[in-house]
Amino acid sequence: MSWIVTGTGAVASIGSTTDEIYGSLVAGRSGLAGLRGYDRSRFRAQVAYEIDDRPAPGVDEPLRATRWLEQAVAAAAREAGLGDDLSSVPVLVGTTLRELRSVELSWRDGTQVEVEDLHFGTMLRRRFGAADTHTVANACSASLYTLALATDLLDLGQADTVVVAGVDTIAESTYGLLDRCYPEAPDRVRPFDRDRRGMLQGEGAVAVVLRREADGPGPGATVHARVRGVAVNCDAHHPSAPEAKSIAAAVREAHRRAGVGSADIDLVMLHGTGTPLNDEAESAALGSVFAGVEPSPYMTAIKSMTGHTAGASGLHSLVAAIDVMRRGSVPPIVGLDDPVESVAGFQLVRGRAVRPDEELRLAQIDSFGFGGLNAVAIVERYAEHEAAGANGATAVREERQ
Amino acid sequence: MSPIRVVVTGLGTAVRGLDSPEELLGGRRSDGASADPVDRLTGRGLRYKDRATKLAMVAGREALAAAALIGADGAPTVPGESVGTVVSTNFGNVDTMCETVATIARDTYLATSPMLLPATSSNVVASWLAITHGLRGANLTLCNGRTSGLDAVNWGRLLIGSGRVERALVVGVEPDNPAVRHLAPEQDEFFDGAAALVLESAASAAARGVRPLAGLGPYARRAEHTRAVADVRAGEPRAVGLWCVPEHPEGIRAPGASLGAVPGSAVHDLSALLGPSSGALGVLQCVTGTAWLAGAAPDEADAVVLASAGIGDTGRDDAAAALILTPAGSA
Repeated sequence: MSWIVTGTGAVASIGSTTDEIYGSLVAGRSGLAGLRGYDRSRFRAQVAYEIDDRPAPGVDEPLRATRWLEQAVAAAAREAGLGDDLSSVPVLVGTTLRELRSVELSWRDGTQVEVEDLHFGTMLRRRFGAADTHTVANACSASLYTLALATDLLDLGQADTVVVAGVDTIAESTYGLLDRCYPEAPDRVRPFDRDRRGMLQGEGAVAVVLRREADGPGPGATVHARVRGVAVNCDAHHPSAPEAKSIAAAVREAHRRAGVGSADIDLVMLHGTGTPLNDEAESAALGSVFAGVEPSPYMTAIKSMTGHTAGASGLHSLVAAIDVMRRGSVPPIVGLDDPVESVAGFQLVRGRAVRPDEELRLAQIDSFGFGGLNAVAIVERYAEHEAAGANGATAVREERQ
Repeated sequence: MSPIRVVVTGLGTAVRGLDSPEELLGGRRSDGASADPVDRLTGRGLRYKDRATKLAMVAGREALAAAALIGADGAPTVPGESVGTVVSTNFGNVDTMCETVATIARDTYLATSPMLLPATSSNVVASWLAITHGLRGANLTLCNGRTSGLDAVNWGRLLIGSGRVERALVVGVEPDNPAVRHLAPEQDEFFDGAAALVLESAASAAARGVRPLAGLGPYARRAEHTRAVADVRAGEPRAVGLWCVPEHPEGIRAPGASLGAVPGSAVHDLSALLGPSSGALGVLQCVTGTAWLAGAAPDEADAVVLASAGIGDTGRDDAAAALILTPAGSA
């Protein structure tokens, strides 16, 4: 079975719509800026990839994650023709930190927060009338994990349409603990670069609307892409160190579910956090999966511009992959000047965006999280010529010339 | 509904004052201040685990052992890839966040311990369960408000129904600590504990020679409690012998006539017994209901258990969930 994406919405430090985000990615424009919401004297690290929507510099407020989630879900639902009525549509939200930043503000500063507002379901019910809502706190693979669950719901006939979302804000606890972990404070996210210093967090939300392909796109009549398969696993290995063989197993299972081979993949959206642990495990896994595939697929890592948007990051990469496949330009890995040895055989996009002559048809999206939670999705470009026979669907117009 | 029949094959609890899952059917024990269940954990590596993780490890180990899915060494007796993990908790790691942000405010990031970093991610409980017992299948953490426990049980069923795993350990846990009390100052009582059950396909249980204790019936998450109950009852009209009610006793008290309660049927309010238990409630209810079906139900009764959590109707919760447990021998 395959599934189609009929609506997308996203917000991040580099844009408040999917178009803005894609534009920033292709331009190599990063959302990195000085730390905005915290007392900077408490930290060695001084920068992050925040959304600049606080009321004043240094002044934080609760429920920002909920606000972005609402924005992303509204955009995706609107594109899919669902409007603001999700009363009969399951909504699955992937996240690492939920509204725990609001908990921090309540605990430390006495900021007023209602306990029911800590659950995303409360906003989803009030704004969209959604009642079948589920928050899956699956660390940094959360939104691709929820994508897998959504395909299962559709497969099992439990729903005809599912909204899949991801959201995360930066919690001060995690920011401080990450600061404590690294020998030097990271000054930016530099995936696979010899001078990487570690990960910096980003903020954002993202949502897609998913349906069975056999049922067509529904009221919106637009198809952005086809999801071919999503694999998930858990390495049961370590609370924070990923395991290469488990990542490789997830990639291979995603290929199997999609019915494709390694040589069929045109584009890999790397998890690429710029931490030695991730980069080494991911490059080792991909080195084994793509052994003998020459040239390798194009590979890029958008966290170099969005920061690590945690539970939202997998779906952020997926939406970016959809835009890359239909618009033709692959964003660069910003700051990747001197690649580590383990990625020597990979066709990494560096310096500036590339526009391949050949059509990019199949993308692999990597997403890994604490606790060894791995999720890998395979997404296919949905071409305009396919649309005529698919229940009147219209593929989103390409920008290739 | 999944065409695969899913059954319960193991139960576990970590609740102060209770020695076995069956005791959830009783009243409040007078010796409620007896030994802390986490004292049952021994060995190294406990220092940086939060209370929710430790409670879940106690209940999870008991359920896995009861289902014969782990041996004496805690390692799985089946391929680890075949076992998924689903945890429900709304407040499991808020203590770590609150303590850390206070430390930073007081003494800067330098006073924090990097060992706590994984515990800032809300999946920390499920991660340690997986690592401890080698559970390499799909691993989920539900933080879904008052319905979360019942939702988690259903996600365990869906992971099996979709073929991603053959079995799933489902744990509901909430800790009682100052951070949790801060978030709900109107409460004067808090649950502190965990409940666990093992789900697997009936075929898996049969192949392993494990006796099913109960079957999973219909589930629904709806805007109103009345609708959630009506929808699951439409799929399973047998009389309700035990109803585990939601956490708001003022909203839901006695079974309505439409429930078709059998003579001698009971309404069981676990929150009254144990304190409001948030994300743990639904799993506690299913453990209680399974214990009733497997032992306490009248021999002649062909009755089911109704569990419901959250009251969407009143506006206090975003939704309500309902789930039915059936006798193990019935379809």
